[in-house]
Amino acid sequence: MGTLIIVLTYIAYVCIVAVYTFKVVGWLRLPPHIRWDLYPVIHEENYRYGGSYYEQQEWWTKPRPKNRWRSIMYSLKDNFYMGEYYKRNPLYWLFLLPWHLGFIFIITFHILCFFAAVSMVAGLEISAASASSAGKSFYYILLATGGFAFLTGTFGSIGMIFIRLADRSLRMYSMPMNFFNYFFFLIVYGSGLFAWLALDPTLVEYRAYWLGLITLSPPVLHPMTVLHIILFDIFLIYLPFTRSTHYITRILAYFYIRWDDEPNQRGSKMEKQLNDLLGQKVSWEGSHIAKGKSWVEVATEPGFPDTKKDSK
Amino acid sequence: MNKIIHIEDFSRSGGQLAQIDPAELMPLPPPYDKMSKPPIRQLTDEQRKRMDASLDGVVAIGLTPPANPEEEKAFIDKFLAGLEKLFTIENNWTFLQPLVHTLDYCVKCQICSDACPTYLASGRQEIYRPTMRAEILRRIISKYIKKENSLVRKFKASDIDLNWQTLARLAELAYRCTLCRRCAQVCLIGCDNALISREIRKIFSQQMGIAPKELHEKGAVQQLKVGSSTGMTPAALMNIIEFIEEEIEEKTGRKIKIPVDKKGADMLLIHNAGEFLAWPENLEAFAILLDAAGVDWTLSTEIAGYDSVNYGVWYDDFQFSRVAIRQSLAAKSLGVRKISLGECGHAHKAGIVVADRVLTGDLNIPRESILPLLEEIVISGRVKLDPSRNNFPVTLHDPCNMVRLMGIVAPQRRILKKICPQFREMTPHGVENYCCGGGSGFAIMQSTNFPDWRSAVSGRMKFKQILDAFHDVPGPEVKKYLCAPCSNCKGQFRDMFEYYGVWEKSGILYGGLVELIVNAMVDLKKPFIQWEWH
Ligand code: SF4
Ligand code: SF4
Ligand code: SF4
Repeated sequence: MGTLIIVLTYIAYVCIVAVYTFKVVGWLRLPPHIRWDLYPVIHEENYRYGGSYYEQQEWWTKPRPKNRWRSIMYSLKDNFYMGEYYKRNPLYWLFLLPWHLGFIFIITFHILCFFAAVSMVAGLEISAASASSAGKSFYYILLATGGFAFLTGTFGSIGMIFIRLADRSLRMYSMPMNFFNYFFFLIVYGSGLFAWLALDPTLVEYRAYWLGLITLSPPVLHPMTVLHIILFDIFLIYLPFTRSTHYITRILAYFYIRWDDEPNQRGSKMEKQLNDLLGQKVSWEGSHIAKGKSWVEVATEPGFPDTKKDSK
Repeated sequence: MNKIIHIEDFSRSGGQLAQIDPAELMPLPPPYDKMSKPPIRQLTDEQRKRMDASLDGVVAIGLTPPANPEEEKAFIDKFLAGLEKLFTIENNWTFLQPLVHTLDYCVKCQICSDACPTYLASGRQEIYRPTMRAEILRRIISKYIKKENSLVRKFKASDIDLNWQTLARLAELAYRCTLCRRCAQVCLIGCDNALISREIRKIFSQQMGIAPKELHEKGAVQQLKVGSSTGMTPAALMNIIEFIEEEIEEKTGRKIKIPVDKKGADMLLIHNAGEFLAWPENLEAFAILLDAAGVDWTLSTEIAGYDSVNYGVWYDDFQFSRVAIRQSLAAKSLGVRKISLGECGHAHKAGIVVADRVLTGDLNIPRESILPLLEEIVISGRVKLDPSRNNFPVTLHDPCNMVRLMGIVAPQRRILKKICPQFREMTPHGVENYCCGGGSGFAIMQSTNFPDWRSAVSGRMKFKQILDAFHDVPGPEVKKYLCAPCSNCKGQFRDMFEYYGVWEKSGILYGGLVELIVNAMVDLKKPFIQWEWH
């Protein structure tokens, strides 16, 4: 059993990292698009009211300072707070937020466990009774993170099932997959919660498990903890196949679409990229688009005589 | 409550999917709470035979049903071929990234629905939900493009039956969204359902040659052929300019020669040509003010050089690029240093922002909004202004394209605060504004009962906002001014105000920004704004 969970855990982590990377790289490799910014653009000086550099005369002669730090904080903030949901559908927010926090904290908990295991190899004792204050604090941080993850995840999963059924708009556009996910995640968090509360109140088994992982020595754990870990590993493998990548892609969408206000300048790298795209042959069949021509050829001809049929 | 409509219903043949029930529409304050006429004219039987109105009884495109199953199949196949092209770099690099993001990552939380003025004003008609179009498209993609197996489709609730009726309704539905992008602004995932409306329009136009006549044939095509989407030729333009010069002299006693095709001028000013025909006072005001401020400017008589509109931005990437390129060429041939756009929201967004990545090399001539210059003229005191001349209630409409879509928010406010003592904001305003209801081409679309729809439904929220802004002076005895620095929005207000009888009932005049500035000019003897313009 110990060996199984070690192997499975490694597979799970490789899978989640690989698939997420694949998806994110795929997203980023999509070609530059036409500008489609939407205000407020948070890196702008006047972001508070949604102002842009276009508010100045001859904007191209002025500096365009970008506050990247503010943008990063703004985009991350919503992973933890989701203010727009609170404003518009507070009941939904009440369940959605814990559900999301469950994800964030369970992953954080495991990452912390990894560091705990590394510290343990280095000789740190992590427990409430540890002689070192670092060991003691680490113990409580782990306990708080893990406990919070199990509680919020369980509460959120139950709540999401409820709200998706109770709210008409949400119900109408729900898919069986949503409910499968809620139930599955409920089992994952619920098993963790049960193992923690009933069997392993100090979460010592997780430290043993992570120690086993990094020292490649199969740990001996309670079957309930093993069950939770197996479920958690399956969860890690499954996660990237859901829409969960939006944790990352939503931030990319902010930076690369909504806040992408970079003007195209003569002789720039972007201009070169655009010229390549404009040189590609298009195959649209509308009568105003000549066959076998490139984008730029089509765009520079007038596009008539036009035989476009209008149905009126 | 409005009927619950499911996506499956889109594929049912015959019958009208949604009924617009006057009792369900968002209530308006008195006296507009009791309208004697039905909100939307019924189509005649003959019209119904000729044009598909099976979505909501309204016609924007009005497709003709296929004569036989072969025609239906060819129609569907052509649509699917177009849909496939949407995901290829060569055919759709322009919007591929935002398109894929929206289709792949929407979590169906429906937060965007509450931001949509059309959906809310309709009394939450299910079909107008911002997510509806995307959801239909997603299902078509799952079944017919990705060809996912039926179990997967069940799991993802992505089944759909595609027939002519589904597509005819989808085509119409793509023209029930004003592309105001208020929905996109609230999406925490960064999805954009307005873009989906545009992409659907694009398949119909670029692949199938289907678009509302006013946007394509009479719009972009005419602009490229004749010079302007209004059909105004350069010769006609010269006549109107002459008329405007005479009018200026008559009104102000000033003899102003409007510069036309002036080589080497500093700035080419491009107006929405609709102004020349419908609101010449806007052009007069520009000419008076720029002359008084000593600006070195010119108009152009080149194709598209005297019409800033670019309808392609609403439905077709190629028509868009063609117009943008012609406008740049007009500037290039005059050797001006920059292009400045007059009071037209979509022309701002299209010409300054969206065109940015289509205009490369020497076509990339600096382009800007006229508003910062107007602000500078007003604030610097270069032209003497007396705010007391504008002592009547004024509110400001924010054209989405200028504000939410490109962040020009403050200049117009600083101007109004300086010259209009009774200026008041609408709620909400700035980047959170509501669209006038005429966005994405609606203001110029006059097909059958479509104008009724945009007055009764898509413009309803804005109408309520305007009335609320003047709630302290509701009656017609107090003359009020709605400042709308956008020709398109003005077109919508013209029709909507007539539809509701606003001048008679509330005494609200709509007009541009520059008219207010000129109205405040100290050395004009008579007021420039005439309430008879209504
Ligand atoms: S588009 Fe955004 S706000 Fe609307 S349902 Fe999808 S995720 Fe939610
Ligand atoms: S763009 Fe505007 S009209 Fe269209 S769905 Fe979004 S909010 Fe509604
Ligand atoms: S017509 Fe005016 S308010 Fe409406 S979408 Fe366009 S810019 Fe916005």
